[in-house]
Amino acid sequence: MQLNTSKSGKRYKIQDMSLALEIERRIETLGMTCGTVVTIMNRQCHGAVIIKVRGSRFAVGRNIAKHIQVNEEANNE
Amino acid sequence: MNNKQIKVGFIGNPNCGKTTLFNAYTGANMKVANWPSVTVEKMEGSFQYKDYNVKLVDLPGTYSLTSYTMEEQISREYVMSGTADVIINVADASLLERNLYLTLQLIEWGRPVILALNMMDILEKQGMEIDLHRLTEMLGIPVIPVNAGIKKGLDILIHTVIHQKARAKITSVIYHDVKTDLKNRYAHNHHTAFFMMYSDEIEDKINVIQEKLKEKYPEIYNKRWHAIKILEGDRAVLDQYMIELPVDFKCYYAKEIINEKYDFIDAIISEVLVNKDKKETFTDKADRILTNQWLGFPLFLGIMALIFFLTFTLGNRMKDYMLMCISAVSDYVQVRMTGAGIHIAVISLVVNGIISGVGGILIFLPNIFILFLALAFLENSGYMSRVAYVIDGIMGKVGLSGRAFIPMILGFGCSVPAIMASRALEHKRDRLKTMLITPLISCSARLPVYVLFSQMFFEKYAIIVAHSMYVIGLLMAVLVAFIIHLFNKRKTEFDLLLELPEYKIPSVKTIVIYVWEKVKDYLKKASTTIFIASIIMWFLMNFGVEGYTSDITQSFGSFIGRKIVFLFQPLGLGYWQIIVALIAGISAKEVVISSCFVLFGIQNMTSQARMTNLSNVLRGMCFGTLNAYCMMIFCLLYTPCIATLATIKKESESWKFTGICVVFQLLLAWFVTFMFYQIGNAFL
Repeated sequence: MQLNTSKSGKRYKIQDMSLALEIERRIETLGMTCGTVVTIMNRQCHGAVIIKVRGSRFAVGRNIAKHIQVNEEANNE
Repeated sequence: MNNKQIKVGFIGNPNCGKTTLFNAYTGANMKVANWPSVTVEKMEGSFQYKDYNVKLVDLPGTYSLTSYTMEEQISREYVMSGTADVIINVADASLLERNLYLTLQLIEWGRPVILALNMMDILEKQGMEIDLHRLTEMLGIPVIPVNAGIKKGLDILIHTVIHQKARAKITSVIYHDVKTDLKNRYAHNHHTAFFMMYSDEIEDKINVIQEKLKEKYPEIYNKRWHAIKILEGDRAVLDQYMIELPVDFKCYYAKEIINEKYDFIDAIISEVLVNKDKKETFTDKADRILTNQWLGFPLFLGIMALIFFLTFTLGNRMKDYMLMCISAVSDYVQVRMTGAGIHIAVISLVVNGIISGVGGILIFLPNIFILFLALAFLENSGYMSRVAYVIDGIMGKVGLSGRAFIPMILGFGCSVPAIMASRALEHKRDRLKTMLITPLISCSARLPVYVLFSQMFFEKYAIIVAHSMYVIGLLMAVLVAFIIHLFNKRKTEFDLLLELPEYKIPSVKTIVIYVWEKVKDYLKKASTTIFIASIIMWFLMNFGVEGYTSDITQSFGSFIGRKIVFLFQPLGLGYWQIIVALIAGISAKEVVISSCFVLFGIQNMTSQARMTNLSNVLRGMCFGTLNAYCMMIFCLLYTPCIATLATIKKESESWKFTGICVVFQLLLAWFVTFMFYQIGNAFL
């Protein structure tokens, strides 16, 4: 599934990204690398999300979120 | 005392407290706030420590040495230039994991680096702890805990700087290549275990590239770093150092290099950070409400409405006291000067020109004060970046990222810093678009115009009318962005990627400094721009072709105004005095008000009477409520002030674009006011 359709409060593992190279590198630089677990703190109806990754919170717009493939992590708190 | 120089650069992630630390050392009052990218330019300062003269440079925040935005480039260039003897990498301890990425890059670069861990208190509050000893061991650089806010750890940090300078001959990075002579240089073998090594595939490539670089560019400092940058596909390095590589040589490992750095960071974090992510923080709870998908937007509108409500109601009450003070001064001066037998023209210049003009602006100080107090809270609490998120959906529809909304909110204060804040946007076209629409957001300088005209003509509806100006400004900005978006053929995908800081209760000191700086700016403007404009206005009104004249219709001002009155007739503003005031307003928007008082020859300074007087004069000229409203709209939308234009020129680096801004806003103001007046006339 894509990040923009994720559910608030759940944890997901980043599988893959298909964005423009520059944005992809930038996202990775911020710590959202493949295999990282992110927590969805908040989601808006149009698909922008707030994620918590490596202790920091980021607002991620819909156009980025929809290009990030994630898998739900099994053990949710 | 022998005075040694030492140059220190502060670098770190956005919003990690570099500027607070800089202020703590230098006693400067550079602006700090709780949202990323407040500092957009490098700032310099200095102070004395023992027999060292320490020169500090505060750099814009950057997440990495791979630069994407303008401010990040400034930081990168500074680090690369080697100007600094020692680099202090300021990091937010509560966000250590992400902050370490930049640290690794800095260590790789190989100049003396110290890691200053700021905000240790927040980390502790969140129930976490850092094993500082182990962190130092793993990174191989000194790690010093500091608390910039309460000036803790400052001396130790600077002491370490001096040590590092003394120690550091510029050497290459310590890394795990046992084949080189590093072994001899660092007899203690464990040094090689300090710093990170990449996977064999990448390390092999690094070796090959390093050799090529050594052949072709023997003078380069730290070839390993350059080799890594080449593998990362770094444009600047690739363009500067062109090397021939074997065919089929895979040369793009950016993704892997980032991933491996984070793998190393994971290893560090698991060793040094205790109790990671245990507690749910206050920020998490607050965000559930403030960024809620249904409540977020209404809450934002509510907060803005409250800010303006306070600005007008509380501000207006305090304004009356200011008015009393100023009229007392004016009366006193007039009586004393008349008593001293000073020529009537001079008295007129002082009382009707200067005091009336400058005083006319000073009375709005309370409104301005409250507005900036509110903005200070908005900026320092951490809510600012949330607004960008909440509004992202709407902004996306008009082709801008939610990020572009931060400059727009700053624009409620003043367009100049707002336009500078647009630097944080990645694309040049985004920046230009934001620069074009930001001046449409009603700044504090336009506030006096609304307060005065709405009180004169709308009485009990004054607040609603003044509010409507802010709404119209915002709507126009969004509408203009939307129209550009519609006609823009090369659509890029706009995207928000913004860090959301922890919420904080702003410190009293930060707020006081923030508001005081703004009030000081306002007073400075009143004593310079507005002072001079008032004098010029007075001359224009009181001198004509025949010299000093008390008949205003013979004056130069009248002459100029009458020439173009026909252009303003269809807007309901066909009064030469109004036109002259508007032209004068380009120097600073408040001047519209100070000029009105001078132009209409309002001398009666006794509090309320002064306004009634102006109001009566205007009404006597058939200038009614509709005209007043049109006047406010025109002031809202027409050409921004000189200071804003200069900033637009500086930021866009284009006279052409600045020219477009001037003409565009003039036409927009004319057109919108025209529509309002004509439609209003048809119905009223």
